[in-house]
Amino acid sequence: MYPRPQKVNTGHLKILTVYCVYLITLIVLMTDEQLIAQLKQRDRNALKTVYLDYKTEFLKFMSRYNVEVNVLEDIFQDALIVLYENAQTGKLDALKSTLKTYLFGTGKFMLFKHFRDGKKEVPTEETYLFDRYEQTVIEDVYEDEGLNEYQAQLVANFKKLGGKCREILELFYLQGMKLDEITQTQGYENKDVAKSQKSRCLKSLKQLIAKNDG
Amino acid sequence: MDKNELIIGYFENSLSPNQLMEFENLLKTDADFAAEVAFQKELQTSLKKEERRELKSMFSDLGEKEVRPKIKVFQLRPWLAAASIALLVGLGSWFLFFNSPDFNTDELYAANFTPYDNVVHPIERGNELEDLKTQMFSAYEVQDYDMWFALLAQLTTEQKDDYFDFYSAIIYMQLDNHEKAIPLLQGYINNNGELDDRATWYLALSHLKQGETKESKEALRMLIEMESFKKKTAQKLLKDLN
Repeated sequence: MYPRPQKVNTGHLKILTVYCVYLITLIVLMTDEQLIAQLKQRDRNALKTVYLDYKTEFLKFMSRYNVEVNVLEDIFQDALIVLYENAQTGKLDALKSTLKTYLFGTGKFMLFKHFRDGKKEVPTEETYLFDRYEQTVIEDVYEDEGLNEYQAQLVANFKKLGGKCREILELFYLQGMKLDEITQTQGYENKDVAKSQKSRCLKSLKQLIAKNDG
Repeated sequence: MDKNELIIGYFENSLSPNQLMEFENLLKTDADFAAEVAFQKELQTSLKKEERRELKSMFSDLGEKEVRPKIKVFQLRPWLAAASIALLVGLGSWFLFFNSPDFNTDELYAANFTPYDNVVHPIERGNELEDLKTQMFSAYEVQDYDMWFALLAQLTTEQKDDYFDFYSAIIYMQLDNHEKAIPLLQGYINNNGELDDRATWYLALSHLKQGETKESKEALRMLIEMESFKKKTAQKLLKDLN
């Protein structure tokens, strides 16, 4: 005969389960925090990691909405760009969800926009709550049709500028750093020096455009 | 505040309401000022769009290069590995602090059962829809078990590697359908499947869940003799069952 199973206090198991879930959540959030910090530093490798980690799952998750795969792939790429841009402006610093939830929420937001644009029925589901700023970024990325002729010319001439010029203009216009911060981090003597450097660079850029245009 | 500073303040988002009014006013009345603001805004938009273009081409490159080595035994994400460690620590402390001589098969099962990772068919991201097996293991990884069985039905007999039985059994265990899991595991072990040690472990757990302590202990003894997989855990569980 074998001993009959006896009931034991289930409290222990519950404590254990709660403890494990807590630890696992902590680890996932820690990894997310690290990735967000890297994205903030414009670390494209971190973005690659996010891409590789979630692409399959994202496509699988979104396949329930019956959309062509290439549309979903575009949306996934756009959602990653939103993640990258919002990380840089500090929007993800106090992220309450996981990075995955944010990424998938962004994708869903874009997909529903895709449905609305195509006059298709939009599923009534709870979605991630983005603030107005985040919604603007999502819509901006989603609607980005690429550079127009003039913008392409601007970029081409921008790339001909010297390294120092490209740096200060990128920090200011692309990364949204304030002149004070740029002065500190880039070692300018004072804010006025940084300011006149920026003005000189803009002037050079205009000259380049005028020269190549004429 | 001079015009240049107004523009800088505008981009830095640091203008006071009064300065913002002055800024708006100049936009309407001063054509040079308006042109300068427009130029800088255009530069900002262009740099942003250019960066997005670069990122997208980086993603496309990734999509093409994602071919991974064919055989890869263990493909755990770092956090999954960390989570396993956390689970071990958790279990360890549980055994240390709350160990009790009594046992309950349901609880022992719950404490020991975790679904087995997909180690036989790594998902090659990028060509995920490449073939049925890849689709099946994608379904397995996201726990879409209906999909797994639907796809399994589409495989021909020659395509059916025996490890499909093993993974199907793990799915049945998760669905709490041990009547179906047990024969699959037994068949797999009898055919000397590559993962037979793993299968024996799950067989022991399935019997345990069914309250079939004798069979469970038999499987545990077999597993301990194999000296490969979960030997210590099996010994511990066997001790608990005795």
